[in-house]
Amino acid sequence: MSSVSSQPAGRSKARRASAPEGGAVRSGMTLAAYLFLSPYLALFTVFMLLPTALPMVALGLGLAMLLDQKLMGTALVRTVVFLPYVVMVSTVGILWGWLFDKGTGLVNYYLTMIGLDPIAWLKDPHWSMPALAITTIWWTVNTNMIIFLAALQDISEDLHDAATLDGAGPGQRFVYITLPLLRPAMALVTALTIINGWRVFGQAYVMTQGGPEASTFVIVQYIYLTAFQNFEMGPAAAAGVVLLLITLVFSLAQMKLMKAI
Amino acid sequence: MQDQRSSRAGQSLGGRSLAYVLMIVVTALWGAPILWMLVTSIKPESEIYAYPPTWIPDVPTLEAYGALFQRFPMLTWFRNSAIVGIITTVLTLAVDALAAYPLARMQFPGRRIIMGVVFATFLLPYELLFVPLFLGLNSYGLVDSIFSLTVPASANAFGVFLLTQFFQAVPRELEDAAIMDGCSRFGFFWRILLPLTKPGLATVAIFTFVASWNNFFWPLIATNSDETRTLPVGLATLVGGAGMSMKQSVLMASSVVATLPTAIFFLALQRHFVRGIAATGIKG
Repeated sequence: MSSVSSQPAGRSKARRASAPEGGAVRSGMTLAAYLFLSPYLALFTVFMLLPTALPMVALGLGLAMLLDQKLMGTALVRTVVFLPYVVMVSTVGILWGWLFDKGTGLVNYYLTMIGLDPIAWLKDPHWSMPALAITTIWWTVNTNMIIFLAALQDISEDLHDAATLDGAGPGQRFVYITLPLLRPAMALVTALTIINGWRVFGQAYVMTQGGPEASTFVIVQYIYLTAFQNFEMGPAAAAGVVLLLITLVFSLAQMKLMKAI
Repeated sequence: MQDQRSSRAGQSLGGRSLAYVLMIVVTALWGAPILWMLVTSIKPESEIYAYPPTWIPDVPTLEAYGALFQRFPMLTWFRNSAIVGIITTVLTLAVDALAAYPLARMQFPGRRIIMGVVFATFLLPYELLFVPLFLGLNSYGLVDSIFSLTVPASANAFGVFLLTQFFQAVPRELEDAAIMDGCSRFGFFWRILLPLTKPGLATVAIFTFVASWNNFFWPLIATNSDETRTLPVGLATLVGGAGMSMKQSVLMASSVVATLPTAIFFLALQRHFVRGIAATGIKG
């Protein structure tokens, strides 16, 4: 056949993401063992999902509530927060890769300005995931904000009026009216955030290539590396199925939550 | 108190001031990276790494843009992205509208099953499909072609889902009357249904184009030459190689060029984006 068949496109990529600890990923090793026991994926789960998903949901709600008010300028702020949505992932990676640069990045400049020590961010295994998380939040929290905004606008103002007449303060109105009525949106946003967290790839590929010390090695990068760099299609396809199962679990949980409400 | 909504954060002056302070902080945090990208792209070499960093270049210059287009196949990548985006959008509109019409407006055995299957693909993480898709295209020698970047993307459950909802909202009497007057099913679809649902078609078109423009993972796999490489993949090669350091002004210029079309799109058509996300919760 064509020359392509013996030379999958991935090989000629300008960069090769490096596998964690060289040959640790072997097709002989059962995939389940790799995926569930691998400390890297455990790390990923803890350090990517929790720090990203929680702020993504909380911040999405916070931004929506802030910008749902009838104040001058909210439309402009919404536009600014939404703008990163249309920025492609390579650009996000290039931009934030520099912002997080140890020597010349803006983040460290402002950190030192307020008296903190500069952080090696993308070169430090402890800080690489938080850096990716911040990047991801900046890039995609707007989706959550929009869903929450739509849900907030569906809440009848009469409910708030009535509660105010009955003497409920802003805090009580939030806990007893806003939050319960936001539950479907909350379920949707949480599920989407977690699912998209599992699917993170581009940021990690451009900014850290999975490093340092595999601290940002994500499951989609495993698929990319295994299938299109090492040409082991079997394990890669199996990893895809695992990703599907994870996604399904969260999708079904979300649907159940929506129905229960 | 005439404005209940503003009372949610406290209608007091203090509450409102706090809201404004937060809004300024949010604008700064989300706007600064974009502004930094723009500012750096027009800085001369001597100012890029100036300490302290400057937000207004002393001597603005376009030399980074010149270097970008001279040294890298930016125009080719840009052209590829535009071709792929336009073909994908046209194909998606055709496939999705034709799929949504019977699903939304006809009764036939198996309709619910087909609908279920189509919408279930919504839940699939598309990374799952890349290995079989690659193997399939490869066996026909179609990898590294415009075909591999456009046709597989056109069967898009998001578009079918959104258009089904728009099509269902058109009254049945309209279709009955049109057919009574001798209009064919396709005539109704083409001359009445599509013009009536333009906002839905526009939303699908915009999302499809932006998603295609920004799509990274599949073109990364499916292209291996500058002849077919799209912008996101091309840009990623600019930061390649650990030792190679490219001038930040050139990188930022590349980012500006890559972002400009979708940013203009977005600023002009913001409400379509908001509607699409609110309806389906997708990330492009």
